[in-house]
Amino acid sequence: MRFVDEFRDPGLGRVVAGEILGAVEPGRHYKVMEVCGGHTHSIYKYGVDDLLPANVELVHGPGCPVCVIPMGRVDDGIALAHEPGVIFTCFGDMMRVPGSEGSLLEAKAAGADVRMVYSPLDALRIARANPDRPVVFFAIGFETTAPSTALTIMRARAEGLQNFSVMCNHVTIVPPLRALLESPDLRLDGFIGPGHVATVVGARPFRFIPADYGRPVVIAGFEPLDILQSIHMILRQLADGRCEVENQYKRVVPDEGNAKALEVLAEVFELRPHFEWRGLGFISHSGLKISEAYADLDAERRFSVPGVRVADPKACQCGEVLKGVIKPWECKVFGTACTPERPIGTCMVSSEGACAAYYNFGRFAREREVV
Amino acid sequence: MRVLAVDEARGLALCAGEDGAHLSVEIALVEPVAPGDALLVHAGTALTRLDAAAPA
Repeated sequence: MRFVDEFRDPGLGRVVAGEILGAVEPGRHYKVMEVCGGHTHSIYKYGVDDLLPANVELVHGPGCPVCVIPMGRVDDGIALAHEPGVIFTCFGDMMRVPGSEGSLLEAKAAGADVRMVYSPLDALRIARANPDRPVVFFAIGFETTAPSTALTIMRARAEGLQNFSVMCNHVTIVPPLRALLESPDLRLDGFIGPGHVATVVGARPFRFIPADYGRPVVIAGFEPLDILQSIHMILRQLADGRCEVENQYKRVVPDEGNAKALEVLAEVFELRPHFEWRGLGFISHSGLKISEAYADLDAERRFSVPGVRVADPKACQCGEVLKGVIKPWECKVFGTACTPERPIGTCMVSSEGACAAYYNFGRFAREREVV
Repeated sequence: MRVLAVDEARGLALCAGEDGAHLSVEIALVEPVAPGDALLVHAGTALTRLDAAAPA
């Protein structure tokens, strides 16, 4: 298929892997963070990791939408799902995320009407078909998904749908990146930038990384060759003493992003003063809430939401995994008490979670051989 | 996803994915689109039109 096959060519992959080998400085250890969970998934699905020299380490970042939802928000969602008459809708992955007393899937088993949707538009369709019942959409995701929710909210307003509302858990990518860069736990050499977030926001929001922290960023596509080429571009910047935001994913990402998407985000959402992230704690101005202009479509204002705060389970080290401080297999419960079938932490739930990616694609090698 | 048909009045396009599955897609952010266009779709909304002429 066009735009796909040419980026999965094994021969070209070997050529780029050779170029990467030529770009590394012997004796230097490189830590490159792939910010987005989609990249983590591709890296382990295609074995990109195995093509890299041993001194190039990929560190998995916080860009998995399901993984960063704290337990308290799951509990709030479940409380909403149990409200009389409510049809509660969310993406499939979200249904399996454990709260303090079970998941939305378990709430469904206990009698709540929880339905999986592929897009917020599906939730709107359910609302149209059930005018006598309140329909709530549990919105998650970064700037990639938020425009879809915003447009759905605008459609609901335009259609005058009275029974539809959204519990907004959208987050933005820059504040957690800044928090990671400020963290003394982690020393990174460069970033594989989130290609699909950049489709919306463009390249500009990432310029603070080279400007303030002196680290290169390469906005990358999601096929194996995209990722390999991006790693090579980062290593080239380091070798040349350059430090800038480059766009490897030009076939999809315009440098200026999508102006219409940014407009609808500004119209429907505003920044929350703080938002809690699983494992990362509260981060200022990192979450979106529904603006005053659309307050009637905000489930948190329409219903009484408990607003619970729940500490992460002690055994779970998703926080350290999300910050890239430990590898998934270094978590005490990885693959034993915590599996995709019975996850304890969010990183084992979503296909974009680092733990699920390791587990599902059999990447159990603790150390890589020197290429 | 590849555009199969466009419903301009509703701002939607019928698209086919890599696996052949069909999906109704919101096109407000990428209009105008025409049958045959390739779109990057996320959560049911097209975010950009893939430009065959652009460099990789």
